[in-house]
Amino acid sequence: MTYRLKSGNFARFSTFSALLIGLSLAACGAPKSESVDTAAASTGTLRVALLTPGPVSDQAWNGGAFAGLQRIKDSLAARVSHIQTKTPAEFDENFRLYGEQGYSIVFGHGFEYQDAAKRVAPDFPKTMYVTTSGNTTGPNIAGLEFAFEDGAYLAGIVAGAATRSGTIGVIGGQEMPPVKRSFYAFEAGAKSVNPTIRVITSYIGNWDDASAGKEQALAQIGRGVDVIFQNADAAGLGVFQAARESKGVRIIGANSDQNSIAPEVVLGSVVIDLPHAFLLVAKEVQAGTFAPRVISLGMKTDVVRLVINPALRTTIPASALTAVDSVTKQLVAGTFSAPVPPITAVAK
Amino acid sequence: MSAQTATDFLDASIRSATPLLLAALGETVAERSGVINVGLEGAIIAGCLAGLVGAAEFGPMAGLAIAGAAGLGIAIIFAVVAIALAADQIITGTAITMLGLGLTSTLYRVLYGDGGAALQTPTLSPIGIPLLRDIPLIGSALFDQPVPTYLAALLVPAVWWGMYRTQFGLALRATGENPAAARASGISPKNMQSFGILFGGLCGGLAGGTLVLAQVGTFAEGMSAGRGFVAIAIVALGRWHPVGAALAALIFGMASALQFLFQALDLKLPYQLFLALPYALTLAALALASGRYRAPKSLGVRLNVAD
Repeated sequence: MTYRLKSGNFARFSTFSALLIGLSLAACGAPKSESVDTAAASTGTLRVALLTPGPVSDQAWNGGAFAGLQRIKDSLAARVSHIQTKTPAEFDENFRLYGEQGYSIVFGHGFEYQDAAKRVAPDFPKTMYVTTSGNTTGPNIAGLEFAFEDGAYLAGIVAGAATRSGTIGVIGGQEMPPVKRSFYAFEAGAKSVNPTIRVITSYIGNWDDASAGKEQALAQIGRGVDVIFQNADAAGLGVFQAARESKGVRIIGANSDQNSIAPEVVLGSVVIDLPHAFLLVAKEVQAGTFAPRVISLGMKTDVVRLVINPALRTTIPASALTAVDSVTKQLVAGTFSAPVPPITAVAK
Repeated sequence: MSAQTATDFLDASIRSATPLLLAALGETVAERSGVINVGLEGAIIAGCLAGLVGAAEFGPMAGLAIAGAAGLGIAIIFAVVAIALAADQIITGTAITMLGLGLTSTLYRVLYGDGGAALQTPTLSPIGIPLLRDIPLIGSALFDQPVPTYLAALLVPAVWWGMYRTQFGLALRATGENPAAARASGISPKNMQSFGILFGGLCGGLAGGTLVLAQVGTFAEGMSAGRGFVAIAIVALGRWHPVGAALAALIFGMASALQFLFQALDLKLPYQLFLALPYALTLAALALASGRYRAPKSLGVRLNVAD
């Protein structure tokens, strides 16, 4: 959803001021004690927790997970809880916290939560630890794996066809295996359309510095890049702004449907339907049929897809859209899958 | 390097340096009064959100002012706890930073929903100074900038004048060196330090407003991304002098811009090398800049009750 800020938001402004003052006073007062809720543990309600590495307002990776948590809450009448972790030490700590409180499922939303899950899970056998993008399994550890690279490959086809300069870019938060895989596939997709295309890669170094995200994008644009695939969560919001301020630059979004963030510059988004995936796990756990495993979801299950921005659909060459459709069919049929970088291929 | 690349590089340097310079100038004044404000990060992020909300209602210029006011508000809390209640400055500052980061996230979600919204606020457009902006290479970097950049540039001589050419500035610096002696000569150290903190908060808020209203055009939780701490380092690198702070902020801004450029040049080197560049350069500059300059003698020292 895009809210355009206009005047007439006075109520919102007043609320802001009032809350700011109120909360400041509250913060100055007596220290709040965290109440540990154990009452629901015995009532049989499904309780689901989520740890995200970044803010759930990023309109991307973390926002999708939070939407998944809300879907579980609404569909299964579950009780849900969310914590944003800031440091790896907090991964273990919060995994333990939810284990102690008897939660049925704890989602660690990202590749980076796997080691913490391995350490904590044995102590809380009644809690299922699920890491997204993870491939670790155990008696109560499962992984949710997404063929995000298949969607990224399709995005590459679009970018390869849409570029006028023959130079395209990718911008990531940090160089993590799932991000690297998506960029590798994106490049392969672009080269399938235009073998001589140049792909420039930049990493912001974190997932929340939107200003640095914008600068990375401007630097790429200065080198002739005119289509950017961004996978940097909240920091990626700056990439959209860079495109808005530059002539003829297009963006492809990642993880959530980011088409509405900047409809005038976004060609499309590689979407992971995280709510669908989360609900799948939660339903099985509730029914008692969940077998800990790595659940692979992709184009076939319609969890990963490329969503073209309808507003700019006509600006994409028809041949590219045809190619996207035919490759999608092959991906769904399983006769083709996006290439993965040599190193991660071995690790798998 | 082509002329256009050089111009782009200088533009990026100035953009990266502006919020850091604003924050560092405020912190310079605070530290010269003897207060180290680790809560600067909290003031910056408060300025980010307040800038967004304020601009939505009253336009970007007013948004910038409201951002400054938010930084000031955060600084008032710091002043009450660290000066009026004489609590430890580092601990208070750390708490203030955590408060700022947490509070802005909470408020953002209360105001715009749990999922957050892709808010887009109008930004302050660059104001070009005729003739000067057409100077090759440096014209656009120096003379075709949004208001906060000019504000930061003008604050440098203003802070210098205030600190070195006024009675008030002398009293402020005396407090930072020796509060007891300052008190003996009729200065109120508490007032001086409170002023330093409030000015620092105001500048921090403006730095946050700059990020949102002159650069990103939206708010992201945690978008201050450690700039408060970088600004504190810049104060030390700038030898607690406003002109020094300006140079140090510029070095850091240029190193950041170089980092962006190097990655975009597709040099096929590990990107972490580039990301470390601004910090490595700052460290090197800090090592080379040692000499007769030193921190204010009573920096970070709690005032005695009598002061």
